[in-house]
Amino acid sequence: MKRLMTRIGVIGLFVCCLTAAIAAAGQEPLRVGMELAYPPFEMTDKSGSPSGISVDLARDLGKALGRPVKIENMAFDGLIPALKTGKIDLIISSMTATGERARSIDFSDPYLQTGLCLLLKKDSPAATIRDLDRLGRTVAVKKGTTGHLYAAKNLKHARLLVLDKEAAAVLEVVQGKADAFIYDQMSVYQNWQRNRATTRAILAPFQKESWAIGIRKGNEPLRRQINDFIRSYRLSGGFDRLGNRYMKEMKQEFKRLGYPFFL
Amino acid sequence: MTGIFSLLTQRRGEAGPLAAMARLISWLLVFLAVGGVFTFAFSQLQYGWNWGAIADYRQKLFIGWMTTVAISCVSLCTSLIIGLAAALARRCPFLPVRYTGTLYVELIRGTPLLVQILIFFYVVADAFGIDNRYPVGVLTLSLFAGAYISEIIRAGIESVGESQLESARSIGLTRGQIYRFVIFPQVARQLIPPLAGQFASIIKDSSLLSIIAVSEFTLNAQEVNAYTYSTLESYIPLAVGYLLLTLPISLAGRVLERKYRYAH
Repeated sequence: MKRLMTRIGVIGLFVCCLTAAIAAAGQEPLRVGMELAYPPFEMTDKSGSPSGISVDLARDLGKALGRPVKIENMAFDGLIPALKTGKIDLIISSMTATGERARSIDFSDPYLQTGLCLLLKKDSPAATIRDLDRLGRTVAVKKGTTGHLYAAKNLKHARLLVLDKEAAAVLEVVQGKADAFIYDQMSVYQNWQRNRATTRAILAPFQKESWAIGIRKGNEPLRRQINDFIRSYRLSGGFDRLGNRYMKEMKQEFKRLGYPFFL
Repeated sequence: MTGIFSLLTQRRGEAGPLAAMARLISWLLVFLAVGGVFTFAFSQLQYGWNWGAIADYRQKLFIGWMTTVAISCVSLCTSLIIGLAAALARRCPFLPVRYTGTLYVELIRGTPLLVQILIFFYVVADAFGIDNRYPVGVLTLSLFAGAYISEIIRAGIESVGESQLESARSIGLTRGQIYRFVIFPQVARQLIPPLAGQFASIIKDSSLLSIIAVSEFTLNAQEVNAYTYSTLESYIPLAVGYLLLTLPISLAGRVLERKYRYAH
């Protein structure tokens, strides 16, 4: 009990310091929502604090705007509702700018290009997404992702497995319960590297996508500021630095395979 | 003021038109108060409602709801059987059987259902070559609820005094006869409220099966949310759908309780 009290005291002190620091900065913090479950973009470091490309991007954006940044960790499908109801100011969570989403929120200019591709079980004969759309085939997707939306719209015959976690979807393929998992190039590449004995990857994208920062509808000044930031950040090599810091190996591998690298 | 207060105060089982009227008014008051809070909360919400998007998916939501109904029905029956077996096992004089029961109850009650579902499906079922996630899901849910039900039943059985059991034995009743004629009639009524609560929990806990892609009600609502970005419009029907299942169970529990009131 005593230790608990001390802990509460320490946390309270910390919160006070934090508030003081924020007050000193004289600016409202920029609350950035993301799901810290998508390394190397959104993850936590060994001490449990947010880290990754999106976190660094958010911090650099905050510096450029002169506002302190507060990372809010939440489930991916809770991000848009949180933005709409004003719980957060921005979404930087590897979110694809789709037309559907753009009806609920605004997007900045894209900052990354990628595409949907396939992680297949090792002995699957499929060569394209069309080969998978047959009766008796099972396709795993992660709930709420563009892969899920693509499959719901375009796969008419295959059985769809909708999973909460990327890890579970990969496990379905590894155990041969699903023929394929639809996800973006980088995740498919990483999961294939980790499970080379049981899976193979088709990294050529069958649908191209771009990621962008989500902004509440009608917040035009902020959107302009963010677009300016993205442009100058790219020119000054900020994205290249982030790519080299977090995913050098993958970058080289994609270059070797001849796929254009995004950041 | 005190007049209204005393009018709306009554003991259990009071009869007469005035008492019935008081009950009706009291219910109305409660509904008005709760409804008022929610009406206020929703009216404060800045949210672009879009029920039209959900209407397109009502078929999908209905199929999901039916799946949840089916999963729950089977799980209710199997968990009751498992729970009864485990309760009897924990009272079995043969130690290995008794300890199996104890280990089962402690392991299941001490770990999260989420972990149990993942391990049973991706590890245990996989090792035995069972790929169909529906029976595995139902069985996991039944095992989970069975542990709680066994404790409810065991507590009921043990509430019957030792002297009664001794008397029963002394007039030459067998173990089976003691359970059938002495224990069961006395504990049946006591068991109904906690069992009804446990059954309602099973229905709600079945939503966790969505993590192994069992396409039940919650998963379907989440999918509709993913397709339409209409979060509240997807989840409000979800709440209503679960209430449609859990309220009848509470009501049935109350009716049964009344029926068994003078059973002994």
